[in-house]
Amino acid sequence: MEFTREIYWNIGHGPATVVPMYLLAAAAFAVLAYGFLRRLKTYRLGKPMHRTDRPLARFGGMLRTMLLQTRVLRVKGPGVAHAVFFWGFFLLFLGTGLIVVQADFTDLFFDYVFLKGTFYKIFSITLDLAGLAAILMLLGLLVRRWVVRPPGLETRMDDFVMHGLLLAILLTGFVIEGARMAVTELGTPLALWSPVGLAIGRSLAGTSPELLLAMHKGLWWFHLVLALLFIGLMPFTKFRHILTTSAGTFLADRGPVGKLTTIDLENEEAESFGAAKVTDLTWKDIFDADACTLCKRCQDRCPAHATDKPLSPMQVVQRIGELAAETPQTDLIDAVGRDAIWSCTTCRACQDICPAGVEHVGKIVEMRRNLVLMEGEFPGEEVMTAMEQLEVNGNPLGMGYASRGEWAEGLGVKSLAEDAEIDILYFVGCYASFDKRNIAVARSFITLCRAAGIKVGILGKEEKCCGEPARKMGNEYLYQSLATENIATLQGHGIKKIVTTCPHCFNTLNKDYRDLGLDCRVQSHPEFLAGLVAEGRLAVDGEPFVCTYHDSCYLGRHNGMYDAPRELIAAAGGKLVEMTKNRDQAFCCSAGGGRILAEEKLGTRINIKRVEMAAATGTGQLLANCPFCLTMFEDGVKGANIEESMKPRDIAELLAERLQ
Amino acid sequence: MKLLVCIKQVPDMESKFKIAADGLWYDRSDLAWRMNEYDEYGVEQAVQLKEQTGGDLTVLCIGPERVKETMKKALAMGCDRGVHIADDASHLKDPFEIASIIAEFAGGKDFDLIFTGMQSQDRGSVQVGVMVAELLNIPAVTTIVDFAFAAGKVTVKRELEGGIKARVETDLPVLVTCQLGLNTPRYPTLPNIMKAKKKELLTVAATDLYKAGGLQETVKIEFPVKKSGGLFLEGEVESIADRLIGILREKTAVLA
Repeated sequence: MEFTREIYWNIGHGPATVVPMYLLAAAAFAVLAYGFLRRLKTYRLGKPMHRTDRPLARFGGMLRTMLLQTRVLRVKGPGVAHAVFFWGFFLLFLGTGLIVVQADFTDLFFDYVFLKGTFYKIFSITLDLAGLAAILMLLGLLVRRWVVRPPGLETRMDDFVMHGLLLAILLTGFVIEGARMAVTELGTPLALWSPVGLAIGRSLAGTSPELLLAMHKGLWWFHLVLALLFIGLMPFTKFRHILTTSAGTFLADRGPVGKLTTIDLENEEAESFGAAKVTDLTWKDIFDADACTLCKRCQDRCPAHATDKPLSPMQVVQRIGELAAETPQTDLIDAVGRDAIWSCTTCRACQDICPAGVEHVGKIVEMRRNLVLMEGEFPGEEVMTAMEQLEVNGNPLGMGYASRGEWAEGLGVKSLAEDAEIDILYFVGCYASFDKRNIAVARSFITLCRAAGIKVGILGKEEKCCGEPARKMGNEYLYQSLATENIATLQGHGIKKIVTTCPHCFNTLNKDYRDLGLDCRVQSHPEFLAGLVAEGRLAVDGEPFVCTYHDSCYLGRHNGMYDAPRELIAAAGGKLVEMTKNRDQAFCCSAGGGRILAEEKLGTRINIKRVEMAAATGTGQLLANCPFCLTMFEDGVKGANIEESMKPRDIAELLAERLQ
Repeated sequence: MKLLVCIKQVPDMESKFKIAADGLWYDRSDLAWRMNEYDEYGVEQAVQLKEQTGGDLTVLCIGPERVKETMKKALAMGCDRGVHIADDASHLKDPFEIASIIAEFAGGKDFDLIFTGMQSQDRGSVQVGVMVAELLNIPAVTTIVDFAFAAGKVTVKRELEGGIKARVETDLPVLVTCQLGLNTPRYPTLPNIMKAKKKELLTVAATDLYKAGGLQETVKIEFPVKKSGGLFLEGEVESIADRLIGILREKTAVLA
């Protein structure tokens, strides 16, 4: 027999079918277009943002992310279910497309039929299995949402409509096939190439042919209407994510990871800074609410949310979308809530995991900018005091600026003012300069450099805070003042190479300062030290020990640096027992986002939660690479009463102790 | 309403102080400078009053060129104009000379209210505000921790010993000196920082206003000699208390 089937069998291929079919389709697409154009109007309430550069690269990236479901698959359970469901539905969509191409074009005008023979067999079995997979995955997702009910997962009317409609489309599809096969294919070898249809066909075998034909025809039109309903409803339901989430990938931030926009403070026209209303945000910020599917992966990873603070990155995004759609002139900051806004540590766990490319952190910082720059508001008096100290003494700790280089006493390190012949400039940072615990790290770093024969210079009292905590708290003016002064000092000394022991300084000098004119090489200490070890310039004794390691947010998620520190630990003989939440899933120490300046007053302590995760590894030593993390962990082990059993240390201290 | 607030630029108290070469004051190099803390309360209160009544607020500061940075902060907090009294040797002047210069400036200008800090963090003489009032022949109310203005009357609370507060009512004109607890000085907003750059900041030479002579002369300043460390009393609470009373009675003037 011929391996093919008559398209439009029992339906008819004349105008009586084709005209209403295409008219309905046109109507559905018109509604789709109308719906999206209306939403476009809402996005345009926001400020401009250029996201269409390198269109080919963006398009390629979007296709890859969409078709391979790469970001969706970063979380296994529901991720696999969604990916398989998507592939199934996508294959069915392609299959339908092929039928349209043949029936209404190649066969109609050129008598050319390609859905036959081996190709048709493959086509047939692929679609049957795709449909089956799609139904099973959809049922799985349904069970997850309504039976398992993961905490924090919001279910709205939208979700009822979506699950119901998709199931109806898939199930009617199979019943239609089954009805057709019950009449035309039962007992033929072709039937084996549609196993699901065959099973349904067999179960319908006793039904009278007239009933089968009527059922088939009726369901066929019903299935068409459901499919077109799916298309028409897209802009008005979460179905929109098929287009908006894909578009979100196209429109994603392809700049340096985590870089904030630099406000032009010279602009005398600017009447307002930061975001007090949704119209102060960019169109992308408003669009993000549409790209968001409320999957709650961001919320699940937010350290503030995990410790009962009122911040949910997902809810911040949703609130912006709601206000933009309904009442754009409403006070955004009141709607989101000050406590939520100040609780963020800019750890980027939300943005990193988001499958839709939503940019959570920038929105929060824009609101902070409004609070600080336009209202002079801070999360607490202690933060205002720290800001004032940054202005007066160039460090938030309130230490006299003139003693900034004194930590290096006795180490033979000179400030650049005394000796400008150096291999690298060590940008020490405020904590390593003034905080007793972190001075030990700076001294360890110098010890390592001397052992490797590296001549290190420091700026001493010429160095000011890099400005990062001020910037993340929203104080863009203070940040730019500090940055401009630092850059002038560095350029004045003709600095070519900078090394830091603080990831916040590293990230700021290496990314943020580029906008303000800094043009030299900047390295963080694990990268620098790993290089020295690899070159054989630094030898460490590899006597074995156990430890665990905390990936700081600003070396980890912000800079993708996960391996260099692990190489160093291994070189020093460390047997690393990883925490469950490590690498890009690491749980923030709580001090980022300028919160090192603030007191943690809401919910439970983030740092205690993290040291308890470290303690669970049973290793007794927690290695870190950041002065903020080290400070928070020292405080955390005291708070958790595990001082005796868990020692926080910096990698530099570990290596210096094991120098050969 | 015409308002005046007098501020002083002082070193940040966390700085390491050294005696200057002439031995007459502290060395002014390697110091971070800021507005005298008590003057911040004065500026904040003056700005709040200006906002309430729509008055004109002048900020005055005596010192070398660098004090203008601190004056800009006062302008950014809300003062309308600044008067910089240029004097590279202001640190050598005694409170009476400082007060005379201020009074010479303010005399005849009919300020309704003058705000000053209770004392300066470096010299701490607690005299300038009161002396200015005397020289201008207007009342002064010192160490205020609360301020209100209504229907032409000023009502303040003064902080006294033992946490007691005195409520004082005055007419205008009056000078008040401000104490910790009066208010929380605002953080300047960016638009105000920008506006401050364009506000009027006149410079007047101190010599133009210096009519009176000094009443004090600084002979020498020096660090106190380091004495031995503290005494740690251990044992039963009752015996510690007795020993403490004995030490207070014999070694100090605390118990008469």
